[in-house]
Amino acid sequence: MAEIILNNITKEYDNGFQAVKNINLEIKDNEFVILVGPSGCGKSTTLRMIAGLEDISDGDLFLDGKRINDVPPQERDIAMVFQNYALYPHMTVYQNIAYSLKIKKVPKDEIDRRVRETAASLGLTELLDRKPGQLSGGQKQRVAMGRAIIRHPKAFLMDEPLSNLDAKLRGQMRVEIADLYQRLNTTFIYVTHDQTEAMTLGTKIVVMKDGEIQQIDNPTNLFNYPVNKFVAGFIGTPTMNFFDAECVEEDGKLCLKTLDGKIELTPEKEQKLKEDGWTGRKVTAGIRPEHLEFCTEEQAAFKGEISVFELLGSNAIIYAQCADGRVVMNTNDTVSREHGETVFMKPREEKLHIFDPETERIITN
Amino acid sequence: MNTHYKDNRSLPVRILSVLGKVLILGTAGIFTAFPFIWMIVSSLKTKADILNTDIFFPTDPQWSNIASIIFRSPIPRYIFNSAWVSLVIVGLQIITGAMLAYALVFLKFRTNKLLFGIVMGTYMLPVAATYIPSYIILADWHMLDSFRGLIISSTVSIFGIFLLRQGFMQIPKGLVEAARMDGASHWRALWEIVCPMTKASFITFGLMNFISTYNNYMWPSLITKSSEYFLVSQGLRAFFIRDGAYGTEWALVMAASAVVVVPLLVLFAFTQKWFINGIGGETGIKG
Repeated sequence: MAEIILNNITKEYDNGFQAVKNINLEIKDNEFVILVGPSGCGKSTTLRMIAGLEDISDGDLFLDGKRINDVPPQERDIAMVFQNYALYPHMTVYQNIAYSLKIKKVPKDEIDRRVRETAASLGLTELLDRKPGQLSGGQKQRVAMGRAIIRHPKAFLMDEPLSNLDAKLRGQMRVEIADLYQRLNTTFIYVTHDQTEAMTLGTKIVVMKDGEIQQIDNPTNLFNYPVNKFVAGFIGTPTMNFFDAECVEEDGKLCLKTLDGKIELTPEKEQKLKEDGWTGRKVTAGIRPEHLEFCTEEQAAFKGEISVFELLGSNAIIYAQCADGRVVMNTNDTVSREHGETVFMKPREEKLHIFDPETERIITN
Repeated sequence: MNTHYKDNRSLPVRILSVLGKVLILGTAGIFTAFPFIWMIVSSLKTKADILNTDIFFPTDPQWSNIASIIFRSPIPRYIFNSAWVSLVIVGLQIITGAMLAYALVFLKFRTNKLLFGIVMGTYMLPVAATYIPSYIILADWHMLDSFRGLIISSTVSIFGIFLLRQGFMQIPKGLVEAARMDGASHWRALWEIVCPMTKASFITFGLMNFISTYNNYMWPSLITKSSEYFLVSQGLRAFFIRDGAYGTEWALVMAASAVVVVPLLVLFAFTQKWFINGIGGETGIKG
């Protein structure tokens, strides 16, 4: 259990490149924090700075109130699971799991008890005598986790631990990690570029881009109340539809005009846009594919021809070519549709997100 | 993975090709091994036979030549000197070489590349150019004509640093980082994670430097004068000219040379698998 605070942390390399720019983050005891973002956003660097594997160029890092910028990794009492597992190839599974305890000079019988206990909890008992080269990807992943768990560390750091597994195994291991978190009841910091992992595992998600934190929130808020266009587009699959619209006043009411039609606004959104002086100006609007619905031609904000129809069982994804570009709809209506068929869609007004087209910051959710 | 190619050539061509290979390799092999075989057969000849070019194999093997070297000459003493001095030197070279190679490969510091450049630069320096400064330093430290001087002056091997660095570079950095996260210091990570994974490099380095130190002649003969500190090459030379017997005791000189080589042959027999592996550039890590 640990409380970790990052205070104005910056990572600058010798060539002047800033991988992490002045970030602030507070991680409370028992939180499952996810650092998520596209490649090169600085999430792994941030994790490695917490681990002590990367020097901190500027700022302060606190672990349980103690500044640990200059504390070497072996003295931080933090365990880490690496993307490529990093198992010691010359040691058996047993020796791999036991290594940290051996370093701590834990008595042999206690090491044995704890290794067997950990192995049993991860289904590794049968594999204890094998070398890593004889294990499958999923098994290696479990050994890597066992190696971290056995120490009872203050916090677990995981650097894209599932990215080397196939889709099915990844789903399975995701559930196991969630289960582990419930059982261990300790602080987890998890790096991923997969937003499904982020949304399903995290209690707090930190979205990063270009070395800066974009938003810190819980999964629900992140999904429903993104602070900018990047977060809105990054979270959710299929990604949010973005389109340009004009705020126009018709019969005393403000609405958004698209190329194909218009979108009514909720009173709250209307008021916010009016207050901020957006009347008569262009905005960027966003709507998630699942928040689009079929409608009549008169009500339609988007009219288009179906280019791709994907039936996923309980739902279907429709890709339609509209005047505003490609619009993606995720619908429960699983009636098979033909390529080229015309569809009329409108957003659910309360789910519409409106962004400033220049700063890309949210105006109203 | 073994790949089998189908040989489409006709039978006579194939036979000729194999014969050609055998002939070339056989000749090269004989040329390489001939001095050694000559030394062995000469060590069993009589004083008269040895200068008779008509006789290659001894007519009456003189086993007493070998016995007199082992029991009645200072050669075993020189072998012992060479063996333990080489062992200590190689041990020290492994420790210093591994530490520097680890720093060059796994530690991040500003002058990393510069340091490696300097280390490699000294490798370009002719060894003879270092004799005089090294001699003066040892003289100042009062270490001339002693085992201490011999050992201290050879604690670092540039070749070893280079060889180990190349081996260490094959190891994913994540393994050392994982060890650090597991609580290992750099020292532990080096000996418990990196070293076992680059065993072949260590053995190759150890064996090659053991052989060269064991056989070393020039430097030891510059700094040691007393026969009690002689290594084998100096010892052989001293034995050769003993009592003014310049070139008169060829059979005994050959027997002494043969005895001197035995420890190296035994060592090679035990380590050749690793030795060849290490020379071939493979570090023993299987993917």
